[in-house]
Amino acid sequence: MGQIFSRMFSRLWGSKEVRILILGLDGAGKTTILYRFQIGEVVTTIPTVGFNVETVTYKNIKFQVWDLGGQTSIRPYWRCYYTNTDAIIYVVDSQDRDRLGTSKEELAAMLEEEELRDAALLVLANKQDMEGAMSHTEVSEALGLSSLRNRTWTIYKCSAKTGDGLTDALDWLVNVVTGGKK
Amino acid sequence: MYTLLTGLYKQWTQKEEFYIIILGLDNAGKTTLLEKIKSTFTGIEGLPPERIAPTVGLNMGKVDVKSTRMNFWDLGGQRELHSIWEKYYSECHAIVFVVDATDKERIEEVKSTFETVITNDTVEGVPVLMLANKQDVAGALSVHEIKEIFNPIAVQLGARDSTVLPVSALKGDGVRDAVDWLYLRLQRNKVDRPPVFRD
Repeated sequence: MGQIFSRMFSRLWGSKEVRILILGLDGAGKTTILYRFQIGEVVTTIPTVGFNVETVTYKNIKFQVWDLGGQTSIRPYWRCYYTNTDAIIYVVDSQDRDRLGTSKEELAAMLEEEELRDAALLVLANKQDMEGAMSHTEVSEALGLSSLRNRTWTIYKCSAKTGDGLTDALDWLVNVVTGGKK
Repeated sequence: MYTLLTGLYKQWTQKEEFYIIILGLDNAGKTTLLEKIKSTFTGIEGLPPERIAPTVGLNMGKVDVKSTRMNFWDLGGQRELHSIWEKYYSECHAIVFVVDATDKERIEEVKSTFETVITNDTVEGVPVLMLANKQDVAGALSVHEIKEIFNPIAVQLGARDSTVLPVSALKGDGVRDAVDWLYLRLQRNKVDRPPVFRD
């Protein structure tokens, strides 16, 4: 009996925990985005070696957000964190045209992983505040997103620095991971 | 012997999979329709319509009808996203084209978009289902009126299976009929577009 009640309570007021990974090349702005989500401010960051993990509560959902270091040497370790991931946030530096190819390869390799088969993909075309930043359609094309077949995905332009676009992106994420179950 | 048995087991348990693309102009109600299809067939409540934002990427919906899996691809309808549609043509088994029946001002735009879709060689012979959406709104164009508008370009459909059905993606009216229609056409068109098998 008590169990039933507690379950009902958690259904009504409790929050579901969702596991999110933030990935992308080094310098894309992953850590800045993480802390934008969490405290709503721009923090000064240093290149992440290892990971930052924070819990972000948004619209009654607890997001456990893992921000993994993006440097070449530590990218192979991303896979250690793939299990039970509900969604992936893939951050791209929209100004860095030269490395979009690398970004595409890393993304493609990651999405091949069996463990991420059911994870939704949110691509953030970051650094839109900078001059000469590519539009989200350009980024989407460069990453070959339209070749994805079995995955729900979207792309948003944003600026971690000004905070533009991040709320919309987070709203999308909430919708996808809850799927109206809330 | 073992191989034979596992082979047979696979044969029995594997599912035919079909892919259906949902196209149409922005604000036609494609994502709302997808959510309704999902909730109608899986019993899990879909996303409430007021929380649906314009689609930029791809929304996927998987629905099982009998022993068949129908995968719906819901693509963004904004003009600059139309170029993505073509990338899905070669792998799709059917096309659902959603029309906002209340938006008479954009009907010409709908017409030209529809024409571009059906005249693409890659989707030749692929069944096309046109849905006159938003039938719950008073003053929405009826199926009859829609047919009349699209009749001049209907010749371009060729020998493929096609029809216009009324739906209200918001209320769910007609959604089941639409999927049933699709199911039948997918089965009939198997020779042209065989299903994908995945175990």
